Amino acid sequence: MKIQLNARNRAYQFAAAGGERILYAGLASGINLPYECGSGTCGTCKARLVSGDIDDLWPAAPGRKYLKHPGEFLMCQSEARGDCSLEVANFVYNMDPGACLPAAGRGILRSPRLLTDDVIAFSIELAAPREFDAGQFMVMQVPGVPGYRGYSMANFERGAKKLDFVVKKKPGGGASEWLFNGNIEGREVDLFGPLGSATFFPALAKNILCIAGGSGIAGIMSILERACQEHYFDQYSGDVFFGVRTMKDAFYLDELSRYRNKFPQKLQITVALSDEEVPAAAAQRYPALAFDKGLVHEVAARHMKGKYQNVRAYLAGPPPAVDAAIRVLLLEAKLTADNIRYDKFS
Amino acid sequence: MTRKFVCNRADVPANGMRECDADGDLKVLVANAGNEYFACQAVCPHQDVALCEGLYDGAVLTCHQHLWQWDIRTGAPIGLAEAPLECYKVEVDNDSIFIVSPGTLDVGELFTGVAEKTLAEINALAKREEFPQGGTLYNISDPADDFFVLESGRVEFLIGRDDRTSPAGFMLRKGEVFGWAALLDSQPLRIAKATCLERSTLLRINGKQALKVLEADPASGYIVMRRLSSLIARYLAPSGAK
Repeated sequence: MKIQLNARNRAYQFAAAGGERILYAGLASGINLPYECGSGTCGTCKARLVSGDIDDLWPAAPGRKYLKHPGEFLMCQSEARGDCSLEVANFVYNMDPGACLPAAGRGILRSPRLLTDDVIAFSIELAAPREFDAGQFMVMQVPGVPGYRGYSMANFERGAKKLDFVVKKKPGGGASEWLFNGNIEGREVDLFGPLGSATFFPALAKNILCIAGGSGIAGIMSILERACQEHYFDQYSGDVFFGVRTMKDAFYLDELSRYRNKFPQKLQITVALSDEEVPAAAAQRYPALAFDKGLVHEVAARHMKGKYQNVRAYLAGPPPAVDAAIRVLLLEAKLTADNIRYDKFS
Repeated sequence: MTRKFVCNRADVPANGMRECDADGDLKVLVANAGNEYFACQAVCPHQDVALCEGLYDGAVLTCHQHLWQWDIRTGAPIGLAEAPLECYKVEVDNDSIFIVSPGTLDVGELFTGVAEKTLAEINALAKREEFPQGGTLYNISDPADDFFVLESGRVEFLIGRDDRTSPAGFMLRKGEVFGWAALLDSQPLRIAKATCLERSTLLRINGKQALKVLEADPASGYIVMRRLSSLIARYLAPSGAK
């Protein structure tokens, strides 16, 4: 099926196979269509149907609340029934030549393990190596639960043959319940990606500030992995703030300690506990890490005061935590908007 | 230009903002900055998100959805924003705040910052025209005499020849300027066909006459030419990563 896309600056044509979502088809063709979550919640990929017929795969998608005019739909939740012509009210450009082109694929779920009572880690084994940028995510569809959910990769390597993920249990969330309830080792899942623009490249040449809540630490781990591989923290500083409720909810502390110990001069990692005083045992067990009491954006704001020169910030986690961090970074830190990177999943 | 009551001074927090209904039919965002008040459209030009849910520090307004930002005094886009905000002139009488609706030219990206007298002269050149859905404004190779300012509706551009044309973008925001070949020396003919995708209202302005007005006020002319060059560049090159 041929899709004609009219953007504010020019027109594009791309092909979509039967059963292929319009957003994914366009992105796989190297066209940087507007999107954020890729999974029906954010509304950023809205378009207007000019001609042709589409199927709406998720009429109850939360992102539909951003549709205001007749003919509007979410490209991530729609399939074309035949040739279609659509319009997006954005300037649209082709992806950079070096961009990791997103593609559909399948993978096998390996070594699921609980990191805390409600956080699970697992890997996806890929048939063919994949390239992705540090900080990107994949959308994943698990057996028997229709629809894709976005999860950030926690690892980073060139030509990755496996992708690492961490997922927080979400009662009532179909994909999350499947991951927590089943015997999932060896099961096959559908993937599309890599996606997302909260990416880190060493050529950035700025100090980096990472603020993550809960399983949002995944994308930050990928960024830290790449930065450490490149010895980025020999030259630039890194400040990482990882927010959880209590020590029982914390994970990756050994991995974070390892990063800190490699670059003790310029890399600082602080764990923020929102719901308990910092136990004395925490600092003894993890001497490489700092601990503080408070919501993660408050702790970050306290520690970062006066240290916002030449800073690029990466944010990840539950939407209220990301919003609160944005508020601090724009209003107090006076960072420019292009130096605040995040991918919102709602 | 009609004056409409929006709210009382006490309704707007110091260095804060508030969404108001002007006469019940028009939603307006009113912002305070020290002793001054500013008013602009209440929804983000990007995705119709309510701007009162965004961030405002007394100078810069930020939409929380995708961090588009504007200078509250002028509505000029900052950083990631791809479009300006439509601003209203504010008048304060005792405790009451009023807005005065702007003319189409005042919100035109090309003309913000131009001296009032010069703007009035260009305004005098403007002819308001209505076109039905499907109406053609000009064809490829037509003489490029006039440029247009969109007041309402939506205009699509096609490039190519005969039936081998392809869409080259579209205009949809009040104040957007197109047909700017009429302001250039080297472009006597149209390179695109412009068609109204819906019923549209436009201001038609003769390019040569407008240039004459601008030559008499080189300071304003310089602003317009700077804007024009960045407007053209926007259709040529990517704006960079998010």
